[in-house]
Amino acid sequence: MGEVYLPILVLGILGAAFAVFSVAAPSIIGPRRYNRARLDAYECGIDPTPQPIGGGRFPIKYYLTAMLFIVFDIEIVFLYPFAVAFDQLRLFGLIEMAVFIVTVLAVYAYVWRRGGLEWD
Amino acid sequence: MSSLLAAASFDVPTIEYGQLSPMLIIFGVAVLSLLVEAFAPRGSRRPIQLVLVFAGLAAAFAAVVMIRGTQHIAAMGSVAVDGPALFMQGAILVLAFIAALVMAERQVDPLGDAFAPRASALPGSTDEIAFTRLGWLQTEVWPLFLFSVGGMLLFPASADLLTMFVALEVVSLPLYIMAGLARRRRLLSQEAALKYFVLGAFSSAFFLYGTALFYGYAGSVDLSAISDALTANAGSMWLVITATGLVSVGLLFKIGAVPFHQWTPDVYQGSPTPVTGFMAACTKIAAFGALLRIMYVALGGIRWDWRPMMYVIAALTMIVGTLFALTQTDMKRMLAYSSIAQAGFMLVGVIATNQAGLSGTMVYLVAYGIATIGAFAIVTLVRDSTGEASHLSQWAGLGRKAPIVASAFALFLLAFAGIPLTSGFTGKFAVFTAGIAGGATPVVIIGLVASAVAAFFYVRVIVLMFFNEPTSDDGVSVVVPSGFTTLAITISVALTLVIGLVPQLILDLANQAGLFIR
Amino acid sequence: MNPANYLYLSAILFSLGAVGVLVRRNAIVMFMCVELMLNACNLAFVSFARINGNLDGQVIAFFVMVVAAAEVVVGLAIIMTIFRTRRSASVDEANLLKY
Repeated sequence: MGEVYLPILVLGILGAAFAVFSVAAPSIIGPRRYNRARLDAYECGIDPTPQPIGGGRFPIKYYLTAMLFIVFDIEIVFLYPFAVAFDQLRLFGLIEMAVFIVTVLAVYAYVWRRGGLEWD
Repeated sequence: MSSLLAAASFDVPTIEYGQLSPMLIIFGVAVLSLLVEAFAPRGSRRPIQLVLVFAGLAAAFAAVVMIRGTQHIAAMGSVAVDGPALFMQGAILVLAFIAALVMAERQVDPLGDAFAPRASALPGSTDEIAFTRLGWLQTEVWPLFLFSVGGMLLFPASADLLTMFVALEVVSLPLYIMAGLARRRRLLSQEAALKYFVLGAFSSAFFLYGTALFYGYAGSVDLSAISDALTANAGSMWLVITATGLVSVGLLFKIGAVPFHQWTPDVYQGSPTPVTGFMAACTKIAAFGALLRIMYVALGGIRWDWRPMMYVIAALTMIVGTLFALTQTDMKRMLAYSSIAQAGFMLVGVIATNQAGLSGTMVYLVAYGIATIGAFAIVTLVRDSTGEASHLSQWAGLGRKAPIVASAFALFLLAFAGIPLTSGFTGKFAVFTAGIAGGATPVVIIGLVASAVAAFFYVRVIVLMFFNEPTSDDGVSVVVPSGFTTLAITISVALTLVIGLVPQLILDLANQAGLFIR
Repeated sequence: MNPANYLYLSAILFSLGAVGVLVRRNAIVMFMCVELMLNACNLAFVSFARINGNLDGQVIAFFVMVVAAAEVVVGLAIIMTIFRTRRSASVDEANLLKY
């Protein structure tokens, strides 16, 4: 009964170890250059809380980038089932996934040509 | 779960590309059209897009004709390619072609076509004025249009509820954006987009929860599997009834049936008029196709349980649509309420649940769609200095100013009213006889009364156009369009007359389409 | 744990979302409530997948997530346009269209 949960325990230990390592290692081996941005807490790139009254504003460029990220990020969800069964799907799966990726790339090309990826 | 994953007999899926070719062509052209937006220089985008759109629609229609007679559930049980699906796909493609002609018009508005040069520019800002002066056109409307048409082709052909949900969203998401692209009265247009979007997303969530409950009941979202589970009479009936209700809400919203109709007048009025015509005609065909398929294939076995609900909705839709249409003062809003009433008449065919009901509804959809696109195309022509003159009083005396245009509009109104020798009579007759044969006589009687009342407000507009004096110098005139709109109106008039005078042609076609494949 | 409890939870979440759409007046919040409804559907799908003992429900959840993401992008774009025009995302102020 107990050994069923062993993989979860191992995963928990690995996760904790990675977290401790990522925080500890840079402080030991990284160069020390402090400025305001580095000392702030990290909240997805926006100014950390507390923010101005009413939540403050962040630029519309941030919204655009976030939207593009969400769309392209979620599309990739279809690659996971493919990755599990790609050998059984044979050539059919490869061609279908190629069509899928070309379609996503067409959208990417549109975003790129229309300046959706330019920050300034 | 791991044992399920390990269950090794793994069949490589197959896809019947030939039978799916109408949809594949449209989606392929849509992606191409997106690439045109990305890489073609600004000046050459419009001509390239027009060639792509019209060639794509024609090729897809040819593909539908090529695969006629197919009876097969393709793509591993996801897409039913059968007579009714192909009939509706053909109808959607023809109507989309006419709608695209109206959308391509850029001569009636001195500023350009019907769409904002940059939808992101603030209304009234210096940016917007500059873009207008440069003569820029919003050609992104074409890829959106094509994606929406592709979704519409898939919607009535979906053989499982998941495919249907995805198709529903592929139809709707481009339409939400297109509703907000009007060149003039941009605040109204943006508001229409917001209302359409919030209510549309709300209703599709209901559809999805109903799908989840059906999945829980039948262990599958296939329509035929749901039907089998109902025949075996397994599980909780309450689950089925709740699921039926939730799924119906999602589809009845798209159809614009009362009590899910509130978005219709606002969205029809605020959207750019060519888009209004497109969505009023084509979305209705696609959504009715999906509703018919669910009700006939999956839920045909429990029709005695859902029929009372549909009785009430059909009666309410006819009555409310007709009564509210009587009180409207805006032409686009009046046509919107009239389309609600028409949806009620079509629901009689859904209730009939027989072969005649199916073919009758399809004929009605085609007749209504053609007249609707034609009517909205004419609305784009009646203008004053600020854009379309859509107030009813501005249409007074139009018969004197432009007899041909006013006559065409009168023909479409007579078709809506179901006067004999027009397409509307053919449709109404087919649906009502099927309703009586299917045992829905009370609803048919309500339908006949509602038709008589509706005829009053259609005829009132005709009287207004031909027998009233025009209000002096209100600046309203009928502009002369380019070949695009002229062709669209001509085709609509011709088809309305042909379906009215020689109804046997389309009735035979619809009857040959047969029943849904299971 | 009885998987039916997850169904009750999903029904509660769905109802919360539906009520939220009806009573809240900020377009963004209404929109978040719609997303809550979609996620309640996802919870129902995976619970039913567990109860029915097949994987369809889990695959459907993938599709729902993708559709929901596409809906977010379109919806926020529309709300953003309206907000820039009117400096407000209240649906009560979207009142130009009426009879």
